[in-house]
Amino acid sequence: MDASTKTRLPLKTIVAIIVIVLCIPLILGLGVLLPGEGGIYAISAIVIVLVMLPFMLAFEGRRPQARELVLITVMIALAVAGRAAFFMVPQFKPMVALVIIAGVALGAESGFVTGSLSAFISNFIFGQGPWTPWQMFALGLIGFLAGLIFSKGRLPVKRLPLCLFGGLSALLIYGLFMDTSSVLLMTNLLSGQSAVAIYLAGLPFNAVHAVATVLFLAFLAPFMIEKLERVRSKYGLLGNQ
Amino acid sequence: MRNLHPAISFSYFAFVILITVVFMHPVTLCISLISALLYAIYLNGIKSLRLTLLVLVPMMLLAAIINPLFNHLGNTVLITVGSLQITLESTLYGLSTAGMLAAVILWFSCYNKIMTSDKFTYLFGKIIPSVSLIISMTLRFIPRYLSQMKKITYAQQAIGRDLNSGHLIDRIRSGGDILSIMVTWALENGVDTADSMRSRGYGLKGRSSYSLYKLDSRDKLLAAFSLYLAIMVIVGIALRLISISYFPWITLNPFSIPALLIYLAFLLLCLFPLLLDGFEELKWRSSRSRI
Repeated sequence: MDASTKTRLPLKTIVAIIVIVLCIPLILGLGVLLPGEGGIYAISAIVIVLVMLPFMLAFEGRRPQARELVLITVMIALAVAGRAAFFMVPQFKPMVALVIIAGVALGAESGFVTGSLSAFISNFIFGQGPWTPWQMFALGLIGFLAGLIFSKGRLPVKRLPLCLFGGLSALLIYGLFMDTSSVLLMTNLLSGQSAVAIYLAGLPFNAVHAVATVLFLAFLAPFMIEKLERVRSKYGLLGNQ
Repeated sequence: MRNLHPAISFSYFAFVILITVVFMHPVTLCISLISALLYAIYLNGIKSLRLTLLVLVPMMLLAAIINPLFNHLGNTVLITVGSLQITLESTLYGLSTAGMLAAVILWFSCYNKIMTSDKFTYLFGKIIPSVSLIISMTLRFIPRYLSQMKKITYAQQAIGRDLNSGHLIDRIRSGGDILSIMVTWALENGVDTADSMRSRGYGLKGRSSYSLYKLDSRDKLLAAFSLYLAIMVIVGIALRLISISYFPWITLNPFSIPALLIYLAFLLLCLFPLLLDGFEELKWRSSRSRI
């Protein structure tokens, strides 16, 4: 199946990515020059979007095959449906767990796409807001890291390391990103003390989220990864080259 | 606003939200907050506003408290509690941030109503085709999964694995079975979808996509008008005709005619969607009564 052959990125995409990366310090510089207070939230949100763009452009640039697209879509749809199913219970969300599973089974790049788009699309249902870019980047990063750490056999794809990674990433990556977004939005200034206060206030929520992620991973990961492997070998998708 | 070309509504919201977040001037914040509130009520009704407030009020309170408590910039000390100095400037800054938060969240609630996912995928379909395709497919898959989930549950019930009866452990086990069947079905069905896409020529050159939106002369006129207002506001801020600085003490631009004009431009810009929709509704009503 030609889905497994990785095509190289076209020159246009590479140039676009370099330009975007060069834009990031420019925007940060603009933030320093901006008159008066405020604006730090906007600057940070723009920078986050700029950091995400190269991932997306790289994904677009290699023109993913229909089967690869659809597998990612299935994982995103499951993550979004999972968030919807548990929306009554605050912070008890299976999104991180499903994104990790996608990263492990489909690779780092697909993990990033699955994570960031799960956040984006679920917000079409739950409402987009100033938190959207942060959520997208945090979940994308988790999927990406899951792919990096587990897919090349660096860590065994077993319940214990998966759960450990899941709990830590919900607590440290997702929690920290979302709390930073709250700090910046609520103070619109760079202030260490208020940051510490909000991080502490967010800790119980992040802890619940981490526990939920561990539970979902313990329950879902073994059979879902097995199923994804089965579909991959049955239809010859996304070869391990 | 709903019938406006997606590119115009998207840039409109992007601009208004950006100005609200970046420029913490009390007058523009009030304008933005009140217009966002009115438009949100117009679009979503009072009832859903209550839900929004449920999230909003704690966030605003937190912002109004956390700023004076942890930010000691500013020269006018109001109260000293131990080593803690609460300044007038940071208190007012906290209040402005609370107002900014409220305005942004209300604007986003309007955005969510106007910029539906189909408009988003239309707008970005050319730049990020695969991502747009994923978005629209996901939104199709979710209702499909829900109905399939129902089918699986009924089928399991028919063979005696009822979710609503039996031991708790049995119930959890049958719930897990349903989930497992569901995931297998979703993956296999996804591969079927992909094959069907391939056989219809997905990814081949020269394929076009259907779009509902056309940039007509009304769109262009309205876009030009709102762009004019937006440029006025930007120029006003860049020339410091309206300005605000909170620390070390509050300095506001003096009142002047140009400043007033810029406030008016921003007011008109913020009320733009409401005026547009109101005008359309009036026109619709008057044309209906004549029939």
